[in-house]
Amino acid sequence: MLELMDLTKTFKHTEAVKNVNMFIEKGEIVGLLGPNGAGKSTAISMLSSLVEPTSGDVRFRNKSMIKNPQSLREVLGLVPQEIALYEDLTALENLKFFGRIYGLKGQQLQNKIEEVLDQIGLYERRKEVVKTFSGGMKRRLNIGVAMLHNPEIMIMDEPTVGIDPQSRNYILETVKRLNEEKQMTVIYTSHYMEEVEFLCDRIYIMDKGNLIASGTKDEIKQILSSENSISIKADRWNDEFIKRLQDIPTIQRMKVEEKEITIVVPKDLNMFAAVAKIADESKLELRSIDIKAPTLEDVFLHLTGRALRD
Amino acid sequence: MAGILFAKIRSFIRNPWTFLLFTAMSIGFAILIGSSGNFNTIQVPVTGSEAVQESPIGDALKENKVYNFVWKSEEDMLEQVETGKAEAGVMVQEEDYQVVIGVDSANSQLVEQTIKEIYMDVLQQEKLYAAMKATTATEKQAIQDKLDTAKENPVFSIQQASFRSDDAFIYDTASHSLFGFTLFFVIYTIAYTVLPILLEKKEGIWDRMILSPLKKWEMYVANLLYSFVIGYIQVLVIFFIFRYWVGVDFNGRFIETLLVLIPYVFSIVSLSIFITALVKNTQQFNTVLPILAVSMAMIGGAYWPIEIVENEILLFLAKFNPLTFGMEVLNGVAVYDYSFDELLLPISILFFMGVLLMGIGIHLMERRHI
Repeated sequence: MLELMDLTKTFKHTEAVKNVNMFIEKGEIVGLLGPNGAGKSTAISMLSSLVEPTSGDVRFRNKSMIKNPQSLREVLGLVPQEIALYEDLTALENLKFFGRIYGLKGQQLQNKIEEVLDQIGLYERRKEVVKTFSGGMKRRLNIGVAMLHNPEIMIMDEPTVGIDPQSRNYILETVKRLNEEKQMTVIYTSHYMEEVEFLCDRIYIMDKGNLIASGTKDEIKQILSSENSISIKADRWNDEFIKRLQDIPTIQRMKVEEKEITIVVPKDLNMFAAVAKIADESKLELRSIDIKAPTLEDVFLHLTGRALRD
Repeated sequence: MAGILFAKIRSFIRNPWTFLLFTAMSIGFAILIGSSGNFNTIQVPVTGSEAVQESPIGDALKENKVYNFVWKSEEDMLEQVETGKAEAGVMVQEEDYQVVIGVDSANSQLVEQTIKEIYMDVLQQEKLYAAMKATTATEKQAIQDKLDTAKENPVFSIQQASFRSDDAFIYDTASHSLFGFTLFFVIYTIAYTVLPILLEKKEGIWDRMILSPLKKWEMYVANLLYSFVIGYIQVLVIFFIFRYWVGVDFNGRFIETLLVLIPYVFSIVSLSIFITALVKNTQQFNTVLPILAVSMAMIGGAYWPIEIVENEILLFLAKFNPLTFGMEVLNGVAVYDYSFDELLLPISILFFMGVLLMGIGIHLMERRHI
């Protein structure tokens, strides 16, 4: 339905997106993953016809959208990364404003606003000024505005940034429901791996402007089928323990967090004894050592050499 | 387009504080700084015998529109000049006069020049009556009528264009403060109504509108129309207060005074778009705006009359400053009684600046994807 073909965008001397190819089928939820600065937002902007690519093409129903994007724009709903609302207006006034610019009026507008307010759970707060809302409520309204004109394709650019877990779950459930009940196609960018794992049928991973992997969740995890991810937990680390782990040549990658170290090693290698011995010699008390099936986070670490939220 | 205007007006009603603050500051500063003067005409104490007061010289002084010549005793006149209450005083006789100067300012020189012109006109008229042997009032009136007709239909007509020359400079602190502070503070009001364009673009509100059936020109027109209306309402409020509450008569050309503000407000809206297109964020905007506005006010003659500036560089820079021409048109209408022909040049320059800055500003905004 929607294709990005060899899409490149250069800003002055920086190539923000390099020869990216993607396709999106009707009714699927596609995740676009990558750390900050990976080129996700630029790719999304080109896909939604807001930024003209330096080269390449965006095709919608087999027609190029570069010069004449109107047919694509009509079916697009956009949830920008920022809160794209008038903060001095109420939720209702915002919905009325954005509904009107899409040509909705009268009873049709009224009905649609009520439906959207129900879906985003803000009906009771509809007459309150947006600037008094919590971050989560603003995010929900931000999504609600994009739903007003019944878009076939919803582009959501990191819609859960900076909100509490409860609001985040609400948003994820809403997106899932929209996809299931209305067969809405969703393009979802995030750097929260668990959101993408929960929502998306297929995933594209971007880093430094390049598309570095794509496929279903399982296909992507297969990239690490020959490896194991071992999680080591402790209350605190000491330098000697970390240094000795780093010196083990069979550890392919290592990520150190406050209370958890994740190492990726070949699947057949038993690392329990070695890790326990080093901990003992380093006088470090471990809380647990677990072998985990590779997650998308591990795949990302494998592909880019850095954590997704770095 | 109407939807954007409606949303902006709603937001303005809920948050009018910037507008109210700058309106109050304009009025406050104009009253405080201008209170040393008189909002109508500058008073000049004049002393002379009763015979002189009844003579054509006395009548001419009374009819003078630039200065309000107030008859005083010689002692009072000298005291006013000595204590600095008046910059200059005048002692008049039938065929001669003396100007007593307290402060050697442009105004006191102008008082002297005005008196000189009055004497020349009256004495010329008297000589004409004598040459035509007119002794009765009817004969004198007939000659005066012929003279007036000849003046209205001159053999040679001279087209006058602004700018003011130094010899025509009139400085009235009160009017100057009113005009200066109004034009200065409205820059802030307008700029802060244009700034949200930058924020709305960054936040994605404009992206949403671009994806809607709304046309881009409608988005710009609605936003800029709103900024223009808010800026113009501010100057209207201030000028109406000074007209009907303080009692400034604007030389009897109040409506024209309000009309000549239109090109100035337009040029400031355009300037604001230009600044918004150049800066990257609100912090930069907040830094650049006061520097620019204060510089414009100093160079353009909002704080003090541009006529007292002698530095060639500052005078050159003033020619690129909308505020210079804003002051020019306001003074032209309300102080110098300029004709439309004379106002046409500064008005055209303001419109030209407006179109140019808006064109460049919008082009930059679009090119930089702000």
